[in-house]
Amino acid sequence: MATTTAAADVAKQHNLLPNLIPHLDRHLVFPLLNFLEEETPEDEDTTEFTQLKYNLLKNTNMSDFVGDLHAQLNNLSQRPAEFTAKRDAVLEKRRVFEEETEKIQNLLSDADVVGNLRSDKVSNMAFLKDNHGVTPAMVDQLYEFGQFQYSCGDYGSASELLYQFRVLSTDNDKVNAATWGKLASDILTTNWESAMEEVTKLKESIDTRLFNNPLAQLEHRTWLLHWSLFPFFNHEPARDVLTELFFSPPYINTIQTSCPWILRYLSAAVITNRNRPSGKGGFAYGNYQKQIKDLVRVVRQEQYEYTDPVTGFVKALYVDFDFEEARKRLAEADEILRSDFFLVATSEAFLDAARHLISESYCKIHQRIDIKDLSTRLGLSHAEGEKWIVNLIRDTRVDAKIDYKAGTVLMNHPPVSVYQQVIERTKGGFFRTQVLSAAVAK
Amino acid sequence: MSRFFHGSDSSSESSSDDEELYSDEEPNENKALDDSSSEEDSDDDDDDDDDDSDSDSDAGKTGANRFLREASDSESDSDGEDEKVVKSAKDKRFDELEATIKLIDNAERIGDWSTVNDNYDKMNRQLPTLQRSNDGKTPKVYIKAVAELETSVNEAFEKQKVTPKKMNPIAQKGLNALRQKIRKTNRDFATDIDAFRKDEDEFMKDDVVEAAPEKKKSTKSSRKMDAVAAAEAGDDGFTMVGAGGKAMVYTAESILKHLRSIIESRGRKNTDRMEQIKTMEKLFEVSISDYQRIRVLLTLIATRFDLTSGSGTQMTQEQWSLAQQEISKLLSILESNKDIVVTEHAEEWEDDEKLPTITPGETFKIPGSVVSFVERLDDELTRVLQHVDPHTAEYVERLQDEGGLYTNITRAMLYAERLTADAKLNASQENVNRVVSRRIEHVYFKPAQVVTILEENTWKAIPAGQDSKITPRAQASDVSKLVQTLAGYLFKHAEGIIRARAMLCQIYYFALHDDYYKARDMMLMSHLQETIGSFDVNTQILYNRTLTQVGLCAFRAGLVYECQHALQDICGSQRQKELLAQGLQIQRYSQITPEQERLERQRQLPFHMHINLELLECVYLTCSMLLEIPTLAQAGSSPDLKKRVISKSYRRMLEYHERQIFTGPPENTRDHVMQASKALAAGEWKKAAEFITSIKIWDLLPKAAEIKVMLEQQIQEEGLRTYLFTYAPFYDTLSIDNLANMFDLPSSKVTALVSKMIHHEELAAALDQVNSAIIFRKGVELSRLQSLALTLSDKASGLIESNERVLEQRTQGTANAFERQGGQRGGRGGRGGRGGARGGRGNLGGGRGGGFTGGALGNAIRAQ
Repeated sequence: MATTTAAADVAKQHNLLPNLIPHLDRHLVFPLLNFLEEETPEDEDTTEFTQLKYNLLKNTNMSDFVGDLHAQLNNLSQRPAEFTAKRDAVLEKRRVFEEETEKIQNLLSDADVVGNLRSDKVSNMAFLKDNHGVTPAMVDQLYEFGQFQYSCGDYGSASELLYQFRVLSTDNDKVNAATWGKLASDILTTNWESAMEEVTKLKESIDTRLFNNPLAQLEHRTWLLHWSLFPFFNHEPARDVLTELFFSPPYINTIQTSCPWILRYLSAAVITNRNRPSGKGGFAYGNYQKQIKDLVRVVRQEQYEYTDPVTGFVKALYVDFDFEEARKRLAEADEILRSDFFLVATSEAFLDAARHLISESYCKIHQRIDIKDLSTRLGLSHAEGEKWIVNLIRDTRVDAKIDYKAGTVLMNHPPVSVYQQVIERTKGGFFRTQVLSAAVAK
Repeated sequence: MSRFFHGSDSSSESSSDDEELYSDEEPNENKALDDSSSEEDSDDDDDDDDDDSDSDSDAGKTGANRFLREASDSESDSDGEDEKVVKSAKDKRFDELEATIKLIDNAERIGDWSTVNDNYDKMNRQLPTLQRSNDGKTPKVYIKAVAELETSVNEAFEKQKVTPKKMNPIAQKGLNALRQKIRKTNRDFATDIDAFRKDEDEFMKDDVVEAAPEKKKSTKSSRKMDAVAAAEAGDDGFTMVGAGGKAMVYTAESILKHLRSIIESRGRKNTDRMEQIKTMEKLFEVSISDYQRIRVLLTLIATRFDLTSGSGTQMTQEQWSLAQQEISKLLSILESNKDIVVTEHAEEWEDDEKLPTITPGETFKIPGSVVSFVERLDDELTRVLQHVDPHTAEYVERLQDEGGLYTNITRAMLYAERLTADAKLNASQENVNRVVSRRIEHVYFKPAQVVTILEENTWKAIPAGQDSKITPRAQASDVSKLVQTLAGYLFKHAEGIIRARAMLCQIYYFALHDDYYKARDMMLMSHLQETIGSFDVNTQILYNRTLTQVGLCAFRAGLVYECQHALQDICGSQRQKELLAQGLQIQRYSQITPEQERLERQRQLPFHMHINLELLECVYLTCSMLLEIPTLAQAGSSPDLKKRVISKSYRRMLEYHERQIFTGPPENTRDHVMQASKALAAGEWKKAAEFITSIKIWDLLPKAAEIKVMLEQQIQEEGLRTYLFTYAPFYDTLSIDNLANMFDLPSSKVTALVSKMIHHEELAAALDQVNSAIIFRKGVELSRLQSLALTLSDKASGLIESNERVLEQRTQGTANAFERQGGQRGGRGGRGGRGGARGGRGNLGGGRGGGFTGGALGNAIRAQ
């Protein structure tokens, strides 16, 4: 029992929720809160979370749900009347919106009309105006309605509406806002493919539109980083793209300046990337090495500002080479991962990959290893440890043998031959020179 | 000055007969020449050399005063002789004038125009003093002489034209010069000369007739004045004469008129500023309304600053503190009377006769700038501090004035803030920025405790009703908050240099208070390192100072690498003094013009702002040692790594130290570090630590003991690394416990260190977990040929890379052009490769690693 409470303490101590919330939309915070509520043991009080949720959603149009929460909070048997009234108002408003946007929506669902649309927004608008009497005000209505739907919790239709708006509108600011809105809607409807599209779009618009305003750029990038955590850990194909995005210079700078806690997610992602079947063999592995290197550099730079067990693990393993410390951190990190909304799914993979990393660098440094000792380091039993090592030897083709009698592993580190090194270094030289000279000759 | 003494010498020779006449004559002229008087008085003789006017204030103070004191002393000796002494004081100048005129006459007769010219100059030089002692009137004798001279010169000139006979060239030159000068000067006395020409006798007679009554009058009035202004040193003709040349009656009504005449004479030569200041002090006493007071103070302060307009002179403490008090008087008037404001762009009040009516509730603007005054006051103090020897009591004394100055700055800030807040005035934001910037520059380099005291005293001195929006009174005790708000204000409202300076000040403050990460992050975020080259020199100096301080801060935090990196540029250059503006450095082969040197002198920081250079050097060398010694050990004999120099200046010193045949016990900081380096290289960490910790200058750092502990630990770790690098070839296995004992480190630490080295492939070894030992791999020692081959391959790939980079730069990223064309011309790359090969071969033949600098490669490429 004592250990579990201690673990819970660690988890609580490193809870990032307060850091995350300011950078997320209220609708996006909701799943996080829900997760926390689920995590809390049955016998404990959950009113705190209900209260939080209530405060969170008070200003939205989801009056039914908010009303329920309110009732729950105040131990009422049914929703107070004000919420019913609000609900009616919302429904009424929705009806109005529907009426107003009916025409344009019909138009846009008409295959003939859509077939006539070009890539040029201005001419599209002119076309619609001339042939179908669409006014800019009507297009703006789409935006308003989309926002309204989003606020009601109807994310699917909000996404659709905002998409339609974006096709037609020429108002850059609103288009941008619509893109954010669509990203949120896609995230909440777990439509990861399109969410990833939105992320790319936003990234581009941040780079181009806010070129002159570093502060706004920083702010938007921070948001984007936080929002993209959702697809990051829930959508396999997004992982590589996003890791790359996070490591790209502007974003790594953003992480370092405004939100170092993202490092936890980045570290977890990088470490777990290891045993993902990326299929490109050696290249992927080299990439992995590079990512680890980058990660170590960043973690090291930021350690004065942010440390948690996950980054602590990276630091212990690669900066201090303190395996004992790394083991401790790993245990803590496991707890953290289990109680983190984004990382809970990857905790197993993380543990596995982290063990690999430990044993890898351990083997690199040591010549003779006591199996028992290594097993405890990895948090495994003796038999498991032996199995682990055998697997390791097989997987990574390490030159090692087990001395069963003494209970040790003997590593053999053959020195790289000088000739090999020279060949290695000068390998691409000729080709590169040729290319170069060709280019110069041009 | 010499004139005065020269004059007094000749006075003893003068006959007493003349005295009567001339003393009678002088006051008399008052009336006759009244109309032209103001013109004459303010006139400067063009021939007067510049020194004269520059040293004017000095002359007025030392020369004249001394003289006056003598006069009044002798006066007090015996009342009877009173008159006589005074007379002779004036007369000796008249005698002198007479004598000069006589000389001119004589020379004129023999046609020696060069002598005439010289004497004419002399006469003109005598004139201003005479005018001063003569109520600002030009002596008649002078007029007469000048008028006659002009006639004869013109005659001579005409004659010269007609007669074919050549004049003596010197005389000719003198004549020409004289003619021009006379024309110029006589224009000023045109009226007098006309009067004189019209009726010579009448003009001269005036004197005699009106002499007697006038004399009595003047003495009487002078007595009266004495009663009014007893403080005056001299009396009689001296005191009662104001700058305007009128007998001074100071009343509230005439203040504006007096001020105007003073303002008009501003900037001209020969104005006696001390005299003006005295006048204005009196004016201030009699002024009644706030408006008058402000006007008087504005002029008075400006004049005080004018006292030291030339370069190379500084304000005296007395003058400075008077100016300071006056500024604070001005500020208190402005604070209490909110209806009057002083701003730069206000209409001047033209009517001297009557006062402007100031209706309460409406703001009345007076032209002027409080902020500029405060800035000037600040600059003056800095200038003084630059020139005072910092090790004297005087320096401390003057430094104490800073408190008052800071109060004034803060008050000026409140004032400027108030003006900006008032929308009606549309006062420029720039003023506030400037004064805020001044304030932060008085704070940033001081420890928090000192600033707290400074702030407390300041707020005590400011009337209780006053408060600031930018820096509220309540926050005064929190210094970092203060710096933060001041800097934050400037970030928001200012731009360009002021903003950059604010950033640097804040970073400096953080670094000084051991906030390394904040300081570093801000430094990086400011992006100043890219643009600092385009700023003015003073800002660049501030940048250097900040960088240095950040480096020192890193050192205190135990971050050796960061520290060395930050200090590298400043300390590695051998020009610390120049870069930090803490003294001139005499460079052997420098060609600094005196002008440049003067500028440099002006830039010097006052001593109390200095960063201790010796400490700086000590820190830099120690950090370099901790980084360099393991690197050197690692490089060992392999030639390629030798190139990795971290600190050039440290290397140089180390080499110099190693060349010494006998090394005595260390004397200075440098010796200590060098001997420690030697011990560290040999693996004797204890000895090294001893050398380092016995350096006395560490005591200057706060928490010296902790820093010594930190250093000792660093030395232990680096010693271990050095030891492993140096002695690895001699070991087969090495027990970790043994190492731990040797370096007094816990064995886990040793393991971690060794692991790190193995992982980074610095050490060819592996750990044996079972026996806890290091097993060194054999056969990894490269032969010379092998290591050279490796170096060569490295260089070659480096070369390719840099070539690619260059090409990419040139083609601006249109690198896809690469593949399009085939290798028609194997040109550059091919030959470069060959060149490299040649270089390599040459090396092997020579067997000298030193020659292989890549220079051979580089040359081969460049040769194409």
